[in-house]
Amino acid sequence: MESQIKKIHEQLVSKEITCSDLVQQKLALLKENKYNTVNSLLEITALEKAAAVDAKIANGESIGLLEGIPFGIKDVYMVQGTTTTASSKMLENYKSAYTATAIQKLLDAGAIPLVKENCDSFGHGSSSENTIFGAVKNAINPDLVGGGSSGGSAVNVAKEYTVFSIGGDTGGSIRQPAGYNNIYGLKPSYGRISRYGLMAYASSTDCVGPLAKSIEDIRIVLNTMSGKDAKDQTTVASEDITAEEIKNGSNTNTVGYFKNFIEGDAIDAKVKADFVASIDKLKAQGIEVKELDFFKGNTLVSTYYTLAMAETASNLSRLDGTNYGNRIEAENLIETYAVTRSESFSEESKRRIVGGNQVLSQGFSDAIYLKGLELRDQIAANFEEDFKEVDVILSPVTPGAPPKIGDSLKDPHAMYLSDAYTVGFSLGQLPTLTVPQGTDTGLQITAAKNKENKILKFANFLKDTL
Amino acid sequence: MEGFLHSNSETMSKIMTVDILSSIKGAQPSEAVNKLFEEIKNAQPSVGKAVSNVARNAVSIDDLRTDVVIKSEAIEKQIIRENFPKEKNGYLVVSKVIED
Repeated sequence: MESQIKKIHEQLVSKEITCSDLVQQKLALLKENKYNTVNSLLEITALEKAAAVDAKIANGESIGLLEGIPFGIKDVYMVQGTTTTASSKMLENYKSAYTATAIQKLLDAGAIPLVKENCDSFGHGSSSENTIFGAVKNAINPDLVGGGSSGGSAVNVAKEYTVFSIGGDTGGSIRQPAGYNNIYGLKPSYGRISRYGLMAYASSTDCVGPLAKSIEDIRIVLNTMSGKDAKDQTTVASEDITAEEIKNGSNTNTVGYFKNFIEGDAIDAKVKADFVASIDKLKAQGIEVKELDFFKGNTLVSTYYTLAMAETASNLSRLDGTNYGNRIEAENLIETYAVTRSESFSEESKRRIVGGNQVLSQGFSDAIYLKGLELRDQIAANFEEDFKEVDVILSPVTPGAPPKIGDSLKDPHAMYLSDAYTVGFSLGQLPTLTVPQGTDTGLQITAAKNKENKILKFANFLKDTL
Repeated sequence: MEGFLHSNSETMSKIMTVDILSSIKGAQPSEAVNKLFEEIKNAQPSVGKAVSNVARNAVSIDDLRTDVVIKSEAIEKQIIRENFPKEKNGYLVVSKVIED
């Protein structure tokens, strides 16, 4: 699909449409929608901003490319004055006091936020069912899950209720729902976009990223949000990626894939057949394809969840009802903390907090947590070796089709295992893009750290090839 | 499996279960999560690979930001007050004093 941002920009500038009409139309679609994608609408501010854009155009002033473009925000980002719930009972009435850096950059560019989007509570889930706002329904088949944790964001983009949305990806939370709803979703390199104002899940893999219907829109939004930020000292400087440098060119790439990902029993027969067919098409185009060795899916999932649970137990310990959140008074302070947290966290969040505290306890930390860190280093080292041999790594996004609504809640361990193909790249802090091609739930393209330009260029090649 | 902490001081020695560590009443380790931990315990780290520092994100000393005091805007202070769970006669009320 062509760039929706550029198309709308041209329509606004040529006065074919007004920004107020566009925003009203999108708000109406969001309001009526039955997919449970909306936690709250930002109707008043959106209409005010749209009127200001229309006034500028009427005065003959020029507008920026993102000015007047309606977008969605996963409900884990601070936007001053808006309710930021993380889809949780704990923060049901919490209001952001400040605005996240990534979102502020979009606001500064003139983009208009319409909606805080439904997701798994605190990012804890792969199906967007762990939420107080009702399970997000898949855009293609509403009996199936929307994916998670950025499920509301993916469905809004797929249904064109938003032009793009900003999700958060800790272990696959942008890439998997993008795959389940047949759109593009990018997890950038760790540190490329500031995490300031993103509610922390697992700080060492949390990433901010865009979901959109075109590669060009991903590029535009990525450029806008990237950059060093004094408020997040893990951020790194990066250069803008130009449209020119990611055009599908004639230079050949070397593509790698992990053979163990498609050889195990875990992968669905159709996903496997479609993935192999995609690889064959690349070979037919003269692309050199290399099989690579990698860690077992179960090891990747276990390493990721061990570290993520340890980090989330620590990050969420601040939620005790003292300064904000849903405080439930009990007979003393310790009981007040315990009752507040017991009543206000979901079962899945509690499971992860307890798991995190288990691995951080003396007696278990050496055998589990420290070994997890060691495995992570080896996983990352493995990637460094791989990228000496190949330009990009291609992999399926998920082992199977999206589950039916209700199934993931019954079997959390099966849900964890369904993240087998996404979590490894998170541990390596690598940039990975889901493209809506190749298998029913898409393909992931991964490159070395800070090589997003290679990924976007290869995505343009795949768009013309598969 | 049960989580516990030992204090080095004999007088402070305590065993804490995961429900206490997590401040979650009745919390129990779950089978779904324990299966993940078993996998880690049994994992065979690969050999012959260089150790990576990719996950080390500490900022270098040369790149430390300057300490600056930024005053919160009035709206920010107002929202922080609004978020406080309890207010009485213009004062923000904490839950209870720490007894022990």
